[in-house]
Amino acid sequence: MTTQDSQAAAPRGSFLDRHYFLLRRLHSLTGIVPIGVFLVVHLLTNSSILWGGVAERHHAGGGMTDAGVAYFVREVRWINEQVPHLLLIETTLWVSILFHSVLGVYYATTGRSNTDRYRYQGNWRYRLQRISGYVGVAFILYHVGTLRWGWTFLVPGGTEWSYPFAASTLAAALRGSMDGITVGGVAVSLFYFAAVGLLVFHFANGLWTAAITWGLTVSVSAQKRWGYACAVLGAGLLAMGWGSVIGYVMLDPKRARVVEMSLDPGHQTGAAEKASLEGRREAGVARESEGM
Amino acid sequence: MTTTQARQSSARRPVPGRTIRLRILRCDGPGKPSRWETFSIKVESGANIISCLQQVAANPVTADGRATTPVVWDSGCLEEVCGACTMVINGKVRQSCSCLVDEYAPGEGDQITLEPMSKFPVVRDLWVDRSRLFHALRRVKAWVPIDGTYHLGHGPRESPDAQATRYVLSECMSCGCCLEACPQYNVEPDASAWDTSFIGAHAISQARLFNMHPTGRQLAGERLEALAGPGGVNDCGNAQNCVKVCPKHIPLTESIAAIGRQSTVHAIASWFARG
Ligand code: SF4
Ligand code: SF4
Ligand code: FES
Repeated sequence: MTTQDSQAAAPRGSFLDRHYFLLRRLHSLTGIVPIGVFLVVHLLTNSSILWGGVAERHHAGGGMTDAGVAYFVREVRWINEQVPHLLLIETTLWVSILFHSVLGVYYATTGRSNTDRYRYQGNWRYRLQRISGYVGVAFILYHVGTLRWGWTFLVPGGTEWSYPFAASTLAAALRGSMDGITVGGVAVSLFYFAAVGLLVFHFANGLWTAAITWGLTVSVSAQKRWGYACAVLGAGLLAMGWGSVIGYVMLDPKRARVVEMSLDPGHQTGAAEKASLEGRREAGVARESEGM
Repeated sequence: MTTTQARQSSARRPVPGRTIRLRILRCDGPGKPSRWETFSIKVESGANIISCLQQVAANPVTADGRATTPVVWDSGCLEEVCGACTMVINGKVRQSCSCLVDEYAPGEGDQITLEPMSKFPVVRDLWVDRSRLFHALRRVKAWVPIDGTYHLGHGPRESPDAQATRYVLSECMSCGCCLEACPQYNVEPDASAWDTSFIGAHAISQARLFNMHPTGRQLAGERLEALAGPGGVNDCGNAQNCVKVCPKHIPLTESIAAIGRQSTVHAIASWFARG
C-alpha cells in the first residue's frame, strides 16, 4: 500500500488539526496505559481492606477487620516509601490524566446525545461514557485534592489524610468524623460510590471501544466477545471498587487507628520515617488516647 | 385462540376504510420557521407514506379544514433503493416509500408523525438537501480510478469471499439514515466546513469498499489519509446507532473497525517510511 505522499495536502490548520490522528490515538492509549493500569492497581490496593484480612490472618489477633487494616496500611506505606521512581510515576500519571481529560471533554462536546429517540443499548453506553468522563474529572480532583493536597475544607469533619494512618484517616474522611457517620459523610460516601462505579464503567467501556478504534476487533462477533471480556473485567473492578468504598465506610476509624499504631513502623520503614511517625504521634495528629 | 393472540392479531389487523392522521413538521424554505400541520387521510389498502402524501398534495386542507400549501417531499425509486424519500417517521429515521401505513397506523384515528431529517438543511417541508453526504463520498474518493487516455484492460481477479463482503457494502444507497441517527453527526449548513466535520459511517464504509477493490485499492492511502484528519474515522464515538438504522443492513461498525485497523497499519507504516 503506497501513498503518493507528494499528493497529500500540506499540513494545515491548528496544531490540533495537524496532529489529529496522533492525538486521537494517544487519547485512546493513555486511557489504558497508564490510567487504566493505575486504576486496576489502585482498586487492588484499596480493596485489600477486604481481602488483606485473609492474607494477614495469622499475624493479627484482632480478627479479619484488623488484619485487613494492617495489610492495607503496610501496602500504602510500601508504595509511599519503597516504590522506586514514585515521582516519575506520579508525574506520568498526572500528565496522562490531564491530557486524557482535556481532550476527552473537548471531543465529548462534538457530539449530541440522542438516546431519547434511539434507545439502543450502545447509544446509552455512548452517552454514559461522556457523563462518566465529566463526573470522573470532578471526582479525581476531589479525591486527590482532599486526600493528597490537603483541601480539608471540602471534607466534612476536616479530616486530613496521612499515609501512615491510611485506613483510619480515609474512613474518617468518608464517614465525616472519627466518631460516627455524619450527614456530610453520607454525601461524600455516596459520591464515592457513584463516581467509582462510573469510572469503572468508563474504563471497561473505553477498553471495548478502543479495540474498535485501533481495529483489533473488526467482526461483530469479535466485538461481542471482547465486549463480554470487558464486562467481566468491569464487574470484577466494580466489586473491588464498591467493596472498598463500603469497607471504609463501615470501618471504625478509632479501631483502625489502634491497629495502625500497633504496627511497628521500623519493621517497614526507615529510622527517619519512624522518627516522623513518632513526631506525628506526639503532635497529636493521632488522637489515639481519646475514647479508646 | 388465546386472549393474548386475539389481542395481538386484532391490534395488527388494519381496519379497512379507516381515516388516519398525518402530523407533519412543515417549513416553507431554508431559514424559515417550522410549524406542525395535521391532515386526515382516508387510507387505501396497501397505502404507504408517499401515497398518503400524494393525497395531501391533491387536497391540501388540514384536519381542521384550513387550506394550506401542498406538502413537499423527495422520492425516486419507490422501492427503497434510491434513498431520496428518507425522513423521520414517528421519531425514527427510515424510507417513507417502504413504510406501510397498515403497520404504523392500523386503527381508526391512529396518527403518524413525519419530520424531515434533522442533520441536513431543509429545502422545503420533508425535502432535505443531502449534498454534504455526497461531498463525503468525494472526500474519500469513493470510486475506482479508471479515467485515462487509453484502455486499461481487464482488472485483476477477485476472490469470491472478497466479492461477497464487497457486495453487501455496495448496497449503500446514500440515504443518510446512518447519519441522522449518529450522535457525532450534526447539521452543518456551511459547505466550507464539510471537509473537517464528521464524515459519517456511510463514507467510512465506502472507503472500505473501494479499498478492497483490486483496482480501487490504488487510492487506499489517500482514502486513509483523508479519514485520519479532523472529522475522519476517529470522530466516531462508537454509539453504533448507524448499524441499527441502516435499511440495507450494511455492517457499518465492522467497516469502521476495518478502517480503524487500516489506519493503524497505515500510520505506523508511513511513519517508518517517511523520507
Ligand atoms: S450506509 Fe445504510 S444508512 Fe447509511 S447511507 Fe448507506 S444505506 Fe443509508
Ligand atoms: S458508531 Fe460511529 S458512525 Fe455509527 S452512529 Fe455511532 S458515532 Fe456514528
Ligand atoms: S423513493 Fe427511493 S428509497 Fe424511497
